Amino acid sequence: MTERRRFIFAGAGLALLACAPSLRAQGRGMTAIPVVPPAPTLRLPDSDGKTVDLAQYKGRVVLVNFWATWCPPCRKEFPSLGRVKKLFKPAEFEVLAVNVGEDPDTVFSFAGHTEFPVLFDRDSKAMAAWPVKGLPTTLLIDRQGRIAFRAVGGREFDDPEIVAAIKQLLKS
Amino acid sequence: MTHTRWLVVFALSAAAGLAAGADDAIEWRHRATQGAVTLTANPLGVASRTAFYAARGFSATTIRPYAQACGFSFGMQNGGSATLATRLADWHAVGKDGRRIALRLPQAWDATWQKADVPQAARIAFRWAQFQAENFFEPGDWIMGMATLEASPSGPFRLVARYRDNKGNHEIVLDELACAHD
Repeated sequence: MTERRRFIFAGAGLALLACAPSLRAQGRGMTAIPVVPPAPTLRLPDSDGKTVDLAQYKGRVVLVNFWATWCPPCRKEFPSLGRVKKLFKPAEFEVLAVNVGEDPDTVFSFAGHTEFPVLFDRDSKAMAAWPVKGLPTTLLIDRQGRIAFRAVGGREFDDPEIVAAIKQLLKS
Repeated sequence: MTHTRWLVVFALSAAAGLAAGADDAIEWRHRATQGAVTLTANPLGVASRTAFYAARGFSATTIRPYAQACGFSFGMQNGGSATLATRLADWHAVGKDGRRIALRLPQAWDATWQKADVPQAARIAFRWAQFQAENFFEPGDWIMGMATLEASPSGPFRLVARYRDNKGNHEIVLDELACAHD
């Protein structure tokens, strides 16, 4: 297939995946995890190739988002990761966006420069240790490094319910 | 950035614009609601899936059996207060002739890709683009993903999706589905 034809098909392909009468599908809030288990290891390169370790954020609340550029709800919620990041001080809260299976050029084409680290789990091995059953899945990690909240499916992370959950974790 | 990647940028941008619709909502052709559970579906044609998976690293030849299978993008949302669980193995299509057709599980396709030496990145993308074989939905959760039937019904059919919650097993049905023909 020529590159021009591949471009045309790629664009048409993504569009056709979501074409039909319109219905909004965006979840609300995050679910509290009663057992509050320790977060698994998350140690991955960022877009500069620098290794980022979740453990270095202990003492802060961290929102860990697993996503991919081809995933429509992931794309829709992505801007809200930047918005929620801006609501809190860097010393108290961070966002880590873990891209699954893609390369930095592809990710940059969609995301551009972000206010938070984008990490690359190219072989999805890091993700395998996490309670992720689909994309997007988002976990809120408390200041003690434990999984406190989870959301499966797209969200708007500056939604008042989620902001309240983050504030609750900052107090504990 | 390479020429190919610029093309990907434009393709993704165009696709995002076309797919967004009003208020960036996902647009579903079929919808059923039972209590607080919503199931939605869009038929997927050969061209759209070939394009999608070509962009993920599949060759057109390798993805052909998947692209030609009767397939859908499904969405399921838990608007209630109980946890839901679903297994694709419990779902089936029912044709007008009463014939039952199971859904092909993602792991069955993955076994095909492994035999065909599909690159790992492509297999990873495929795995996560599918409606997962098992799902747990807490209140507010929703998932979307692709799935195929084991065989194509000869005409319109019903899709019977089973799920369970704290009150037992339930069914939610999408009527008048049809495989895409492109």
